[in-house]
Amino acid sequence: MSGRAELTTTSPEGTRAVGAALAALLVPGDVVSLTGDLGAGKTCFVQGAAGALGVTEGVASPSFVLVREYRGVLPIYHMDVYRLDRIQEVLDLGFEDLLDPQGVIFIEWGSAIEGLLPDSHIEVELLTGEQETQRRVVLTARGPGWAERWERLLSSLESWRAA
Amino acid sequence: MLVLSIETSTPQTSVALGTEQGVIASVVLSWGRGHSETTVPAIHHLLEWSQVDLDQVGGIAVGLGPGLFTGLRIGVATGRTMAQVLGVPMVGIGSLDTLAYSVRYARERICAVADAKRGEVFYAFYRSVPGGVTRETTFTVAPPERLAAEIVASGEETLLVGNGSLLHRRVLEAEGSRVELASATNAFPLAVWLLELSVPRFQREDTSRWDEILPFYLRKSDAEINWSRRARSA
Repeated sequence: MSGRAELTTTSPEGTRAVGAALAALLVPGDVVSLTGDLGAGKTCFVQGAAGALGVTEGVASPSFVLVREYRGVLPIYHMDVYRLDRIQEVLDLGFEDLLDPQGVIFIEWGSAIEGLLPDSHIEVELLTGEQETQRRVVLTARGPGWAERWERLLSSLESWRAA
Repeated sequence: MLVLSIETSTPQTSVALGTEQGVIASVVLSWGRGHSETTVPAIHHLLEWSQVDLDQVGGIAVGLGPGLFTGLRIGVATGRTMAQVLGVPMVGIGSLDTLAYSVRYARERICAVADAKRGEVFYAFYRSVPGGVTRETTFTVAPPERLAAEIVASGEETLLVGNGSLLHRRVLEAEGSRVELASATNAFPLAVWLLELSVPRFQREDTSRWDEILPFYLRKSDAEINWSRRARSA
């Protein structure tokens, strides 16, 4: 299956709320890939999602340390592959182990390592809008894992969907 | 000679302490806390409970994989560090060899199969010989379908051992394959078998220095990350 939805948020709080809405439908083993330029709100989106998954500590960008790990209602991994150049470097971070069937992983620039991602995953693309705080959020769900959840996700995101 | 063995190439953490006379103590943990939190405390408990001083340990054996990167790295780094500090020799043994050794009395051919994640398995074929097993193939990483096809093509009765065989049993018990699965207790390579395999090597001084011990990483990739997007936005 492949589903696509375009949303608009008007503030960082809105982007966090979309992250939280997605998080409510995540199940153990899920993989969320995020793309978007610096400042587009990738970390902001993950902050909202992690908060909804019970993470109480602050969620910071993983760009420098490459992988951060949090404990919410399940293990949450937040990875950034932006500074890496070779697939081997991703594997050397223990990527296979980060695809934890008991946890969920958010991968910034995950689309660049598409071949390593499982068939079922969701892509979140964040694009800057015309106004400074406006963002377009494009969600693309792939694989059988999203087929039955997609409609529920769409209805929970109704208020942000582009007219 | 007192040997400490460490096997962390799978989700299980397994350490053991023993001699040529047998196992003194062993800790096995298959669920719960990860290798980074359990390996060193488990070794500490083994030594403490068996009232053995660290400097009595005469050799350290580690499982070299192939296996899961994080666990393997922790086990190998722990073993290497201890060997360096204590100034003792090491023996590294393939984790699939340890798996196969655990069912060495099988009369059929043995295939050790470990879950490699991402829909693949690590595997190798073995045959039982007096005193142990002998590996007949190199370590391979491939989808279970390919292993199933190899087993069917061989036409041989095969005993499958390891978590990869349990996870993919439907695929591996394919039409026309004559396979049997070893029990779930043998799903992971246990440090007690690693210990038993390594002791004769310590005795005949077929050992390695700590800096010669390197894990088997079968998943080598020369591929570059597809950075068309980063180049454009940079």
